[in-house]
Amino acid sequence: MSGSLAIDLPAIAAALLATIACGSLGNWLVLRKEAMTGDAIAHAVLPGLVAGFLVSGARSAVAMFIGAALAGAAAVLLTTFVRRSTRLEAGAALGIVFTAFFALGVLLLETQGARQVDLDPECVLFGSLETLFYAAPQDGPWIAGVPRELWALAAAATLALGLNIAFGKELAAHAFDPIHARLAGRAPLLVERALLAVVTAAIVASFTAVGSVLVLALLACPALIAAPHARSVRGQLALSLVIGGALAIGGYFLAAHAERLLGSRSALNAAGMIAALMALAVPCSHALRALVSRRA
Amino acid sequence: MSAGSLGANTLGVLAGCVLFGALAGAVGTFVLARRRALVADVAGHAALPGIALAFLAGEALGLGGRTPWLLLAGGACTALLAAWCVAILSRWRRVGADGALAVSLAGFFGLGAVLFSVVQSHPAGSQGGLRTLLLGSAAAMGHSEVLTLAALACATLVLLVAFSKELALVAFDEEFARTAGLPVRRLDLLLTLLLVAAVVAGMQLAGIVLVVAMLIAPAAAARNIGVWTQGRLGGVTCIAALIGALSAAIGVFASRSTAGVPTGAAMTLAAAATFLATIPLARTADRSARA
Repeated sequence: MSGSLAIDLPAIAAALLATIACGSLGNWLVLRKEAMTGDAIAHAVLPGLVAGFLVSGARSAVAMFIGAALAGAAAVLLTTFVRRSTRLEAGAALGIVFTAFFALGVLLLETQGARQVDLDPECVLFGSLETLFYAAPQDGPWIAGVPRELWALAAAATLALGLNIAFGKELAAHAFDPIHARLAGRAPLLVERALLAVVTAAIVASFTAVGSVLVLALLACPALIAAPHARSVRGQLALSLVIGGALAIGGYFLAAHAERLLGSRSALNAAGMIAALMALAVPCSHALRALVSRRA
Repeated sequence: MSAGSLGANTLGVLAGCVLFGALAGAVGTFVLARRRALVADVAGHAALPGIALAFLAGEALGLGGRTPWLLLAGGACTALLAAWCVAILSRWRRVGADGALAVSLAGFFGLGAVLFSVVQSHPAGSQGGLRTLLLGSAAAMGHSEVLTLAALACATLVLLVAFSKELALVAFDEEFARTAGLPVRRLDLLLTLLLVAAVVAGMQLAGIVLVVAMLIAPAAAARNIGVWTQGRLGGVTCIAALIGALSAAIGVFASRSTAGVPTGAAMTLAAAATFLATIPLARTADRSARA
Protein backbone atom coordinates (compact mmCIF):
# COMPACT_ATOMS: atom_id res chain seq x y z
CA MET A 1 0.00 0.00 0.00
CA SER A 2 1.32 3.44 -0.79
CA GLY A 3 2.02 5.90 2.02
CA SER A 4 -0.98 8.16 1.57
CA LEU A 5 -3.43 5.28 1.17
CA ALA A 6 -2.09 3.58 4.28
CA ILE A 7 -3.07 6.69 6.24
CA ASP A 8 -6.26 7.75 4.47
CA LEU A 9 -7.92 4.39 3.98
CA PRO A 10 -8.11 3.18 7.61
CA ALA A 11 -9.32 6.62 8.77
CA ILE A 12 -12.02 6.73 6.10
CA ALA A 13 -13.04 3.15 6.88
CA ALA A 14 -13.32 4.07 10.57
CA ALA A 15 -15.42 7.14 9.80
CA LEU A 16 -17.71 5.14 7.50
CA LEU A 17 -18.15 2.25 9.94
CA ALA A 18 -18.92 4.74 12.74
CA THR A 19 -21.44 6.40 10.42
CA ILE A 20 -23.14 3.05 9.82
CA ALA A 21 -23.16 2.12 13.51
CA CYS A 22 -24.12 5.44 15.10
CA GLY A 23 -25.94 6.96 12.13
CA SER A 24 -28.41 4.10 11.70
CA LEU A 25 -29.18 3.94 15.42
CA GLY A 26 -29.46 7.73 15.54
CA ASN A 27 -32.56 7.51 13.36
CA TRP A 28 -34.40 5.78 16.19
CA LEU A 29 -33.12 8.16 18.83
CA VAL A 30 -34.24 11.15 16.74
CA LEU A 31 -37.66 9.60 16.04
CA ARG A 32 -38.07 8.97 19.77
CA LYS A 33 -36.97 12.58 20.52
CA GLU A 34 -34.01 11.31 22.50
CA ALA A 35 -31.18 12.78 20.45
CA MET A 36 -29.46 14.10 23.57
CA THR A 37 -29.42 10.65 25.19
CA GLY A 38 -26.64 9.70 22.80
CA ASP A 39 -24.65 12.74 23.92
CA ALA A 40 -25.21 11.81 27.56
CA ILE A 41 -24.08 8.20 27.08
CA ALA A 42 -21.05 9.39 25.11
CA HIS A 43 -19.95 11.39 28.17
CA ALA A 44 -21.01 8.85 30.77
CA VAL A 45 -18.96 5.89 29.49
CA LEU A 46 -15.64 7.63 30.27
CA PRO A 47 -15.17 6.36 33.87
CA GLY A 48 -15.91 2.82 32.68
CA LEU A 49 -13.31 3.10 29.91
CA VAL A 50 -10.71 4.34 32.38
CA ALA A 51 -11.63 1.78 35.08
CA GLY A 52 -11.42 -1.03 32.54
CA PHE A 53 -8.05 0.29 31.49
CA LEU A 54 -6.80 0.51 35.08
CA VAL A 55 -8.10 -2.94 36.10
CA SER A 56 -6.67 -4.75 33.10
CA GLY A 57 -3.46 -2.73 33.33
CA ALA A 58 -3.26 -2.27 29.59
CA ARG A 59 -5.31 -1.00 26.72
CA SER A 60 -7.31 -4.21 26.68
CA ALA A 61 -10.28 -3.72 24.40
CA VAL A 62 -12.46 -6.26 26.22
CA ALA A 63 -11.94 -4.83 29.72
CA MET A 64 -12.49 -1.26 28.54
CA PHE A 65 -15.59 -2.30 26.66
CA ILE A 66 -17.10 -4.07 29.67
CA GLY A 67 -16.29 -1.11 31.92
CA ALA A 68 -17.80 1.38 29.50
CA ALA A 69 -20.94 -0.68 29.00
CA LEU A 70 -21.39 -0.95 32.78
CA ALA A 71 -20.88 2.80 33.22
CA GLY A 72 -23.37 3.55 30.43
CA ALA A 73 -25.98 1.26 31.97
CA ALA A 74 -25.39 2.73 35.44
CA ALA A 75 -25.82 6.26 34.07
CA VAL A 76 -29.10 5.34 32.36
CA LEU A 77 -30.44 3.68 35.52
CA LEU A 78 -29.37 6.60 37.72
CA THR A 79 -31.02 9.10 35.35
CA THR A 80 -34.28 7.14 35.51
CA PHE A 81 -34.05 7.05 39.31
CA VAL A 82 -33.40 10.81 39.51
CA ARG A 83 -36.31 11.61 37.22
CA ARG A 84 -38.71 9.39 39.16
CA SER A 85 -37.75 10.67 42.58
CA THR A 86 -37.36 14.41 41.98
CA ARG A 87 -39.66 15.16 39.03
CA LEU A 88 -36.86 17.12 37.37
CA GLU A 89 -37.24 17.67 33.64
CA ALA A 90 -35.54 14.96 31.57
CA GLY A 91 -32.77 17.22 30.29
CA ALA A 92 -31.76 18.40 33.75
CA ALA A 93 -31.61 14.88 35.17
CA LEU A 94 -29.52 13.80 32.18
CA GLY A 95 -27.28 16.87 32.57
CA ILE A 96 -26.48 16.20 36.22
CA VAL A 97 -25.83 12.47 35.85
CA PHE A 98 -23.68 12.54 32.74
CA THR A 99 -21.50 15.43 33.86
CA ALA A 100 -20.95 13.66 37.21
CA PHE A 101 -19.91 10.47 35.38
CA PHE A 102 -17.64 12.41 33.03
CA ALA A 103 -16.08 14.24 35.98
CA LEU A 104 -15.43 10.91 37.69
CA GLY A 105 -13.75 9.66 34.52
CA VAL A 106 -11.56 12.75 34.28
CA LEU A 107 -10.63 12.42 37.95
CA LEU A 108 -9.62 8.77 37.46
CA LEU A 109 -7.66 9.64 34.32
CA GLU A 110 -5.72 12.49 35.88
CA THR A 111 -4.94 10.89 39.23
CA GLN A 112 -4.36 7.22 38.43
CA GLY A 113 -1.52 7.59 35.98
CA ALA A 114 -3.49 6.45 32.97
CA ARG A 115 -2.49 9.82 31.62
CA GLN A 116 0.89 8.70 30.29
CA VAL A 117 -0.74 6.36 27.82
CA ASP A 118 -2.62 7.57 24.79
CA LEU A 119 -5.89 7.78 26.70
CA ASP A 120 -6.19 11.46 27.45
CA PRO A 121 -9.33 13.57 27.80
CA GLU A 122 -8.56 15.58 24.70
CA CYS A 123 -8.32 12.45 22.55
CA VAL A 124 -11.55 11.12 24.03
CA LEU A 125 -13.32 14.39 23.23
CA PHE A 126 -11.89 15.20 19.82
CA GLY A 127 -11.00 11.75 18.56
CA SER A 128 -7.91 10.82 16.66
CA LEU A 129 -8.96 9.59 13.24
CA GLU A 130 -5.59 10.77 11.98
CA THR A 131 -3.63 8.33 14.13
CA LEU A 132 -5.27 5.24 12.67
CA PHE A 133 -2.97 3.86 10.06
CA TYR A 134 -2.17 0.62 8.34
CA ALA A 135 1.20 -0.79 9.33
CA ALA A 136 2.17 -3.69 7.11
CA PRO A 137 3.14 -6.61 9.40
CA GLN A 138 6.64 -8.05 9.18
CA ASP A 139 5.34 -11.59 8.95
CA GLY A 140 1.90 -13.12 8.79
CA PRO A 141 -1.07 -12.14 6.65
CA TRP A 142 -1.68 -8.52 5.58
CA ILE A 143 -4.83 -8.41 7.65
CA ALA A 144 -2.84 -8.37 10.91
CA GLY A 145 -1.82 -4.78 10.18
CA VAL A 146 -5.38 -3.45 10.27
CA PRO A 147 -5.76 -1.23 13.36
CA ARG A 148 -7.83 -2.89 16.04
CA GLU A 149 -10.22 0.04 16.41
CA LEU A 150 -11.50 -0.92 12.97
CA TRP A 151 -12.48 -4.41 14.12
CA ALA A 152 -14.45 -2.99 17.05
CA LEU A 153 -16.17 -0.53 14.70
CA ALA A 154 -16.97 -3.27 12.20
CA ALA A 155 -18.52 -5.37 14.96
CA ALA A 156 -20.60 -2.42 16.17
CA ALA A 157 -21.75 -1.61 12.63
CA THR A 158 -22.80 -5.24 12.11
CA LEU A 159 -24.65 -5.24 15.43
CA ALA A 160 -26.44 -1.98 14.58
CA LEU A 161 -27.47 -3.19 11.13
CA GLY A 162 -28.59 -6.50 12.66
CA LEU A 163 -30.81 -4.67 15.16
CA ASN A 164 -32.29 -2.55 12.37
CA ILE A 165 -33.09 -5.57 10.23
CA ALA A 166 -34.34 -7.85 13.01
CA PHE A 167 -36.36 -5.34 15.03
CA GLY A 168 -37.09 -2.55 12.54
CA LYS A 169 -40.84 -3.02 12.80
CA GLU A 170 -40.87 -3.11 16.59
CA LEU A 171 -38.60 -0.05 16.82
CA ALA A 172 -40.82 1.88 14.42
CA ALA A 173 -43.99 0.90 16.27
CA HIS A 174 -42.46 1.96 19.53
CA ALA A 175 -41.02 5.22 18.19
CA PHE A 176 -44.27 6.43 16.65
CA ASP A 177 -46.80 5.17 19.16
CA PRO A 178 -45.38 3.65 22.33
CA ILE A 179 -48.80 3.09 23.89
CA HIS A 180 -50.12 1.22 20.88
CA ALA A 181 -46.88 -0.78 20.71
CA ARG A 182 -47.36 -1.84 24.32
CA LEU A 183 -50.99 -2.80 23.75
CA ALA A 184 -50.12 -4.71 20.59
CA GLY A 185 -47.59 -6.69 22.61
CA ARG A 186 -44.53 -5.69 20.67
CA ALA A 187 -42.34 -6.03 23.79
CA PRO A 188 -41.53 -2.32 24.14
CA LEU A 189 -39.37 -2.63 27.23
CA LEU A 190 -37.20 -5.27 25.62
CA VAL A 191 -36.91 -3.27 22.40
CA GLU A 192 -36.05 -0.13 24.34
CA ARG A 193 -33.35 -1.90 26.31
CA ALA A 194 -31.95 -3.59 23.22
CA LEU A 195 -31.75 -0.20 21.49
CA LEU A 196 -29.98 1.42 24.46
CA ALA A 197 -27.58 -1.53 24.73
CA VAL A 198 -26.64 -1.42 21.06
CA VAL A 199 -26.34 2.39 21.15
CA THR A 200 -23.95 2.05 24.09
CA ALA A 201 -21.97 -0.62 22.24
CA ALA A 202 -21.76 1.56 19.13
CA ILE A 203 -20.68 4.59 21.18
CA VAL A 204 -17.98 2.64 23.01
CA ALA A 205 -16.63 1.13 19.80
CA SER A 206 -16.64 4.51 18.06
CA PHE A 207 -15.32 6.41 21.05
CA THR A 208 -11.63 5.57 21.02
CA ALA A 209 -11.33 6.02 17.27
CA VAL A 210 -13.54 8.97 16.43
CA GLY A 211 -14.07 10.80 19.73
CA SER A 212 -17.24 12.03 21.40
CA VAL A 213 -17.67 15.07 19.11
CA LEU A 214 -18.17 12.91 16.06
CA VAL A 215 -20.19 10.30 17.97
CA LEU A 216 -22.81 12.82 19.01
CA ALA A 217 -22.87 14.38 15.57
CA LEU A 218 -23.42 10.95 14.01
CA LEU A 219 -26.22 10.09 16.43
CA ALA A 220 -28.25 13.17 15.55
CA CYS A 221 -27.26 14.75 12.24
CA PRO A 222 -27.61 12.12 9.48
CA ALA A 223 -31.12 11.25 10.68
CA LEU A 224 -32.11 14.93 10.83
CA ILE A 225 -30.63 15.58 7.39
CA ALA A 226 -32.63 12.73 5.87
CA ALA A 227 -35.88 13.31 7.81
CA PRO A 228 -37.47 16.05 5.67
CA HIS A 229 -36.89 14.17 2.42
CA ALA A 230 -37.88 10.62 3.34
CA ARG A 231 -41.34 9.12 2.96
CA SER A 232 -40.76 6.01 5.04
CA VAL A 233 -38.60 4.98 7.97
CA ARG A 234 -36.67 2.62 5.72
CA GLY A 235 -36.12 5.42 3.22
CA GLN A 236 -34.91 7.74 5.96
CA LEU A 237 -32.48 5.10 7.22
CA ALA A 238 -31.02 4.51 3.76
CA LEU A 239 -30.83 8.21 2.89
CA SER A 240 -29.22 9.09 6.23
CA LEU A 241 -26.51 6.47 5.71
CA VAL A 242 -25.76 7.59 2.14
CA ILE A 243 -25.58 11.30 2.98
CA GLY A 244 -23.77 10.62 6.25
CA GLY A 245 -21.18 8.49 4.46
CA ALA A 246 -20.61 11.12 1.78
CA LEU A 247 -20.17 13.88 4.39
CA ALA A 248 -17.81 11.69 6.40
CA ILE A 249 -15.54 11.12 3.41
CA GLY A 250 -15.73 14.77 2.33
CA GLY A 251 -15.04 16.06 5.83
CA TYR A 252 -12.10 13.74 6.29
CA PHE A 253 -10.42 14.84 3.06
CA LEU A 254 -11.08 18.51 3.78
CA ALA A 255 -9.38 18.19 7.19
CA ALA A 256 -6.57 15.77 6.38
CA HIS A 257 -5.51 17.64 3.25
CA ALA A 258 -6.28 21.09 4.65
CA GLU A 259 -2.84 22.41 3.73
CA ARG A 260 -3.67 21.99 0.08
CA LEU A 261 -7.45 22.49 0.15
CA LEU A 262 -7.87 25.25 2.75
CA GLY A 263 -4.37 26.70 2.91
CA SER A 264 -3.91 26.04 6.62
CA ARG A 265 -0.57 25.55 8.33
CA SER A 266 -1.15 21.85 9.01
CA ALA A 267 -3.79 19.14 8.84
CA LEU A 268 -6.93 19.85 10.87
CA ASN A 269 -8.95 17.71 13.26
CA ALA A 270 -10.92 15.37 10.99
CA ALA A 271 -13.57 14.24 13.47
CA GLY A 272 -14.43 17.84 14.30
CA MET A 273 -14.57 18.79 10.61
CA ILE A 274 -17.00 15.96 9.83
CA ALA A 275 -19.16 16.89 12.83
CA ALA A 276 -19.28 20.56 11.82
CA LEU A 277 -20.13 19.71 8.20
CA MET A 278 -22.93 17.36 9.26
CA ALA A 279 -24.42 19.91 11.64
CA LEU A 280 -24.29 22.56 8.92
CA ALA A 281 -26.04 20.18 6.53
CA VAL A 282 -29.09 19.87 8.81
CA PRO A 283 -30.46 23.43 8.39
CA CYS A 284 -29.43 23.34 4.71
CA SER A 285 -31.42 20.17 4.15
CA HIS A 286 -34.50 21.57 5.89
CA ALA A 287 -34.27 24.86 4.00
CA LEU A 288 -33.98 22.93 0.72
CA ARG A 289 -37.10 20.97 1.57
CA ALA A 290 -39.01 24.16 2.36
CA LEU A 291 -37.86 25.68 -0.93
CA VAL A 292 -38.91 22.63 -2.96
CA SER A 293 -42.35 22.39 -1.38
CA ARG A 294 -42.94 26.11 -1.95
CA ARG A 295 -42.20 25.70 -5.68
CA ALA A 296 -44.43 22.68 -6.05
CA MET B 1 1.01 22.59 47.20
CA SER B 2 -0.68 21.68 50.46
CA ALA B 3 -3.91 23.20 51.65
CA GLY B 4 -2.09 24.71 54.61
CA SER B 5 0.08 27.04 52.55
CA LEU B 6 -2.61 29.25 51.15
CA GLY B 7 -0.88 32.30 49.74
CA ALA B 8 -2.37 35.63 48.80
CA ASN B 9 -2.97 34.46 45.25
CA THR B 10 -4.77 31.33 46.46
CA LEU B 11 -7.11 33.46 48.50
CA GLY B 12 -7.87 35.50 45.41
CA VAL B 13 -8.54 32.37 43.39
CA LEU B 14 -10.72 31.01 46.17
CA ALA B 15 -12.72 34.24 46.29
CA GLY B 16 -13.18 34.11 42.52
CA CYS B 17 -14.32 30.48 42.67
CA VAL B 18 -16.79 31.07 45.49
CA LEU B 19 -18.20 34.03 43.58
CA PHE B 20 -18.57 31.92 40.44
CA GLY B 21 -20.21 29.07 42.37
CA ALA B 22 -22.75 31.45 43.88
CA LEU B 23 -23.42 33.03 40.50
CA ALA B 24 -23.87 29.66 38.75
CA GLY B 25 -26.21 28.41 41.47
CA ALA B 26 -28.37 31.55 41.34
CA VAL B 27 -28.54 31.75 37.53
CA GLY B 28 -29.06 27.98 37.37
CA THR B 29 -32.21 28.22 39.49
CA PHE B 30 -33.84 30.38 36.82
CA VAL B 31 -32.43 28.31 33.96
CA LEU B 32 -33.85 25.16 35.54
CA ALA B 33 -37.22 26.79 36.18
CA ARG B 34 -37.41 27.87 32.52
CA ARG B 35 -36.46 24.29 31.47
CA ARG B 36 -33.31 25.40 29.66
CA ALA B 37 -30.87 23.06 31.45
CA LEU B 38 -29.34 21.55 28.33
CA VAL B 39 -28.99 24.94 26.62
CA ALA B 40 -26.34 25.55 29.28
CA ASP B 41 -24.62 22.34 28.15
CA VAL B 42 -24.65 23.50 24.52
CA ALA B 43 -23.45 26.99 25.48
CA GLY B 44 -20.53 25.54 27.44
CA HIS B 45 -19.34 23.34 24.60
CA ALA B 46 -19.97 26.12 22.07
CA ALA B 47 -17.56 28.47 23.84
CA LEU B 48 -14.67 26.41 22.44
CA PRO B 49 -14.61 27.78 18.85
CA GLY B 50 -14.91 31.32 20.20
CA ILE B 51 -11.98 30.80 22.56
CA ALA B 52 -9.85 29.45 19.72
CA LEU B 53 -10.85 32.35 17.44
CA ALA B 54 -10.10 34.85 20.20
CA PHE B 55 -6.68 33.28 20.66
CA LEU B 56 -5.91 33.55 16.95
CA ALA B 57 -7.27 37.11 16.81
CA GLY B 58 -5.22 38.10 19.84
CA GLU B 59 -2.06 36.73 18.24
CA ALA B 60 -2.83 38.43 14.94
CA LEU B 61 -3.49 41.80 16.60
CA GLY B 62 -0.40 41.57 18.75
CA LEU B 63 -2.34 41.51 22.02
CA GLY B 64 -1.08 38.05 22.89
CA GLY B 65 -3.29 34.98 22.55
CA ARG B 66 -4.04 34.54 26.23
CA THR B 67 -5.63 37.90 27.01
CA PRO B 68 -8.32 36.85 29.53
CA TRP B 69 -11.04 39.32 28.56
CA LEU B 70 -10.56 38.54 24.89
CA LEU B 71 -10.90 34.79 25.46
CA LEU B 72 -14.01 35.33 27.57
CA ALA B 73 -15.53 37.63 24.95
CA GLY B 74 -14.81 35.16 22.16
CA GLY B 75 -16.29 32.27 24.13
CA ALA B 76 -19.35 34.35 24.99
CA CYS B 77 -19.94 35.26 21.33
CA THR B 78 -20.04 31.69 20.03
CA ALA B 79 -21.96 30.47 23.10
CA LEU B 80 -24.63 33.11 22.43
CA LEU B 81 -24.67 32.20 18.75
CA ALA B 82 -25.21 28.54 19.68
CA ALA B 83 -28.04 29.41 22.07
CA TRP B 84 -29.62 31.42 19.24
CA CYS B 85 -29.24 28.44 16.87
CA VAL B 86 -30.97 26.20 19.41
CA ALA B 87 -33.86 28.67 19.67
CA ILE B 88 -34.24 28.94 15.88
CA LEU B 89 -33.86 25.24 15.09
CA SER B 90 -36.22 24.07 17.82
CA ARG B 91 -38.99 26.08 16.18
CA TRP B 92 -38.62 23.95 13.04
CA ARG B 93 -41.18 21.22 13.32
CA ARG B 94 -39.12 18.33 12.04
CA VAL B 95 -36.03 19.16 14.11
CA GLY B 96 -37.62 19.53 17.53
CA ALA B 97 -36.13 20.69 20.80
CA ASP B 98 -33.78 17.76 21.36
CA GLY B 99 -32.64 17.70 17.73
CA ALA B 100 -31.87 21.43 17.89
CA LEU B 101 -29.73 20.92 20.99
CA ALA B 102 -27.85 17.96 19.52
CA VAL B 103 -27.20 19.63 16.15
CA SER B 104 -25.98 22.91 17.69
CA LEU B 105 -23.78 21.05 20.15
CA ALA B 106 -22.24 18.87 17.43
CA GLY B 107 -21.73 21.77 15.04
CA PHE B 108 -20.13 24.21 17.44
CA PHE B 109 -18.07 21.65 19.32
CA GLY B 110 -16.92 20.14 16.01
CA LEU B 111 -15.90 23.58 14.77
CA GLY B 112 -14.16 24.07 18.10
CA ALA B 113 -12.18 20.87 17.62
CA VAL B 114 -11.11 22.03 14.15
CA LEU B 115 -10.08 25.50 15.36
CA PHE B 116 -8.33 23.96 18.35
CA SER B 117 -6.14 21.99 15.94
CA VAL B 118 -5.39 25.26 14.12
CA VAL B 119 -4.34 26.83 17.44
CA GLN B 120 -2.12 23.87 18.24
CA SER B 121 -0.28 24.19 14.96
CA HIS B 122 0.19 27.90 15.69
CA PRO B 123 3.74 28.61 16.92
CA ALA B 124 2.44 30.33 20.08
CA GLY B 125 -0.34 27.87 20.74
CA SER B 126 1.64 24.69 21.18
CA GLN B 127 2.46 25.24 24.85
CA GLY B 128 -1.03 24.11 25.72
CA GLY B 129 -2.26 27.16 27.63
CA LEU B 130 -5.74 26.70 26.23
CA ARG B 131 -5.96 23.07 27.32
CA THR B 132 -6.83 24.16 30.85
CA LEU B 133 -10.04 25.66 29.51
CA LEU B 134 -11.29 22.20 28.47
CA LEU B 135 -11.33 20.68 31.94
CA GLY B 136 -10.71 23.69 34.14
CA SER B 137 -7.83 24.56 36.41
CA ALA B 138 -8.02 27.09 39.20
CA ALA B 139 -4.27 26.79 39.68
CA ALA B 140 -3.67 28.19 36.20
CA MET B 141 -5.54 31.38 37.05
CA GLY B 142 -3.56 34.56 37.41
CA HIS B 143 -4.42 37.87 39.02
CA SER B 144 -6.04 39.35 35.92
CA GLU B 145 -8.19 36.26 35.36
CA VAL B 146 -9.57 36.46 38.89
CA LEU B 147 -10.36 40.18 38.46
CA THR B 148 -12.10 39.60 35.11
CA LEU B 149 -14.14 36.78 36.64
CA ALA B 150 -15.10 38.87 39.66
CA ALA B 151 -16.24 41.80 37.53
CA LEU B 152 -18.31 39.54 35.29
CA ALA B 153 -19.86 37.74 38.25
CA CYS B 154 -20.81 40.96 40.04
CA ALA B 155 -22.40 42.48 36.93
CA THR B 156 -24.39 39.29 36.30
CA LEU B 157 -25.61 39.03 39.90
CA VAL B 158 -26.78 42.64 39.86
CA LEU B 159 -28.74 42.06 36.64
CA LEU B 160 -30.23 38.85 38.05
CA VAL B 161 -31.40 40.54 41.24
CA ALA B 162 -32.80 43.52 39.31
CA PHE B 163 -34.92 41.37 37.00
CA SER B 164 -35.61 38.37 39.25
CA LYS B 165 -39.34 39.06 39.56
CA GLU B 166 -39.93 39.24 35.81
CA LEU B 167 -37.69 36.26 35.06
CA ALA B 168 -39.49 34.17 37.67
CA LEU B 169 -42.89 35.06 36.24
CA VAL B 170 -41.83 34.06 32.70
CA ALA B 171 -40.32 30.82 34.00
CA PHE B 172 -43.31 29.69 35.99
CA ASP B 173 -46.24 31.00 33.97
CA GLU B 174 -45.38 32.12 30.47
CA GLU B 175 -48.99 32.66 29.43
CA PHE B 176 -49.70 34.89 32.39
CA ALA B 177 -46.49 36.83 31.87
CA ARG B 178 -47.50 37.44 28.25
CA THR B 179 -50.99 38.63 29.11
CA ALA B 180 -49.55 40.82 31.85
CA GLY B 181 -47.62 42.59 29.10
CA LEU B 182 -44.12 41.40 29.95
CA PRO B 183 -41.67 41.25 27.01
CA VAL B 184 -41.22 37.45 27.17
CA ARG B 185 -38.77 37.27 24.27
CA ARG B 186 -36.55 39.98 25.66
CA LEU B 187 -36.60 38.40 29.11
CA ASP B 188 -35.65 35.06 27.54
CA LEU B 189 -32.77 36.83 25.82
CA LEU B 190 -31.72 38.29 29.16
CA LEU B 191 -31.80 34.84 30.75
CA THR B 192 -29.66 33.50 27.89
CA LEU B 193 -27.21 36.37 28.40
CA LEU B 194 -26.98 35.63 32.12
CA LEU B 195 -26.53 31.93 31.35
CA VAL B 196 -23.72 32.63 28.89
CA ALA B 197 -22.08 35.02 31.37
CA ALA B 198 -22.12 32.30 34.03
CA VAL B 199 -20.72 29.77 31.53
CA VAL B 200 -17.79 31.92 30.42
CA ALA B 201 -17.11 33.05 33.99
CA GLY B 202 -16.76 29.41 34.96
CA MET B 203 -14.90 27.96 32.02
CA GLN B 204 -11.50 28.76 33.50
CA LEU B 205 -12.45 26.94 36.70
CA ALA B 206 -14.79 24.15 35.75
CA GLY B 207 -13.84 23.77 32.10
CA ILE B 208 -16.23 24.11 29.19
CA VAL B 209 -17.44 20.51 29.31
CA LEU B 210 -18.35 20.47 33.00
CA VAL B 211 -19.48 24.06 33.58
CA VAL B 212 -23.08 23.01 32.93
CA ALA B 213 -22.98 20.86 36.06
CA MET B 214 -22.34 23.91 38.22
CA LEU B 215 -25.44 25.56 36.76
CA ILE B 216 -27.81 22.60 37.10
CA ALA B 217 -26.73 20.50 40.08
CA PRO B 218 -26.76 23.16 42.85
CA ALA B 219 -30.07 24.52 41.56
CA ALA B 220 -31.62 21.04 41.44
CA ALA B 221 -30.32 20.27 44.93
CA ALA B 222 -31.77 23.55 46.21
CA ARG B 223 -35.09 22.64 44.63
CA ASN B 224 -35.05 19.31 46.47
CA ILE B 225 -34.62 21.20 49.71
CA GLY B 226 -36.92 24.00 48.55
CA VAL B 227 -39.86 21.66 47.98
CA TRP B 228 -39.52 20.94 51.66
CA THR B 229 -39.48 24.59 52.66
CA GLN B 230 -42.54 25.54 50.62
CA GLY B 231 -40.47 26.50 47.59
CA ARG B 232 -40.09 30.26 47.81
CA LEU B 233 -37.99 31.17 44.76
CA GLY B 234 -35.88 33.69 46.68
CA GLY B 235 -35.02 31.06 49.27
CA VAL B 236 -34.30 28.41 46.65
CA THR B 237 -32.02 30.84 44.79
CA CYS B 238 -30.06 31.64 47.94
CA ILE B 239 -29.67 27.95 48.85
CA ALA B 240 -28.55 27.18 45.28
CA ALA B 241 -25.97 29.98 45.44
CA LEU B 242 -24.72 28.65 48.77
CA ILE B 243 -24.40 25.08 47.48
CA GLY B 244 -22.67 26.34 44.34
CA ALA B 245 -20.20 28.39 46.34
CA LEU B 246 -19.42 25.50 48.69
CA SER B 247 -18.96 23.04 45.80
CA ALA B 248 -16.61 25.45 44.06
CA ALA B 249 -14.60 25.93 47.25
CA ILE B 250 -14.36 22.14 47.72
CA GLY B 251 -13.16 21.85 44.13
CA VAL B 252 -10.42 24.43 44.68
CA PHE B 253 -9.22 22.83 47.92
CA ALA B 254 -9.24 19.33 46.39
CA SER B 255 -7.18 20.43 43.41
CA ARG B 256 -4.73 22.35 45.62
CA SER B 257 -4.24 19.55 48.13
CA THR B 258 -3.96 16.56 45.79
CA ALA B 259 -1.71 16.66 42.78
CA GLY B 260 -3.42 16.04 39.47
CA VAL B 261 -7.02 16.59 40.60
CA PRO B 262 -8.65 18.95 38.08
CA THR B 263 -10.72 21.69 39.72
CA GLY B 264 -13.68 21.25 37.38
CA ALA B 265 -14.08 17.53 38.01
CA ALA B 266 -13.78 17.98 41.78
CA MET B 267 -16.40 20.75 41.98
CA THR B 268 -18.76 18.88 39.64
CA LEU B 269 -18.56 15.79 41.83
CA ALA B 270 -19.11 17.88 44.98
CA ALA B 271 -22.22 19.50 43.47
CA ALA B 272 -23.56 16.19 42.14
CA ALA B 273 -23.00 14.50 45.51
CA THR B 274 -24.94 17.30 47.21
CA PHE B 275 -27.75 16.78 44.74
CA LEU B 276 -27.83 13.01 45.34
CA ALA B 277 -27.78 13.55 49.10
CA THR B 278 -30.82 15.86 48.91
CA ILE B 279 -32.97 13.45 46.87
CA PRO B 280 -34.47 11.81 50.01
CA LEU B 281 -35.68 15.27 51.09
CA ALA B 282 -37.61 15.68 47.85
CA ARG B 283 -39.07 12.21 48.30
CA THR B 284 -40.30 12.87 51.83
CA ALA B 285 -41.73 16.20 50.75
CA ASP B 286 -43.54 14.45 47.91
CA ARG B 287 -45.00 11.91 50.27
CA SER B 288 -46.19 14.48 52.79
CA ALA B 289 -47.71 16.54 49.98
CA ARG B 290 -49.66 13.50 48.83
CA ALA B 291 -50.82 12.58 52.33
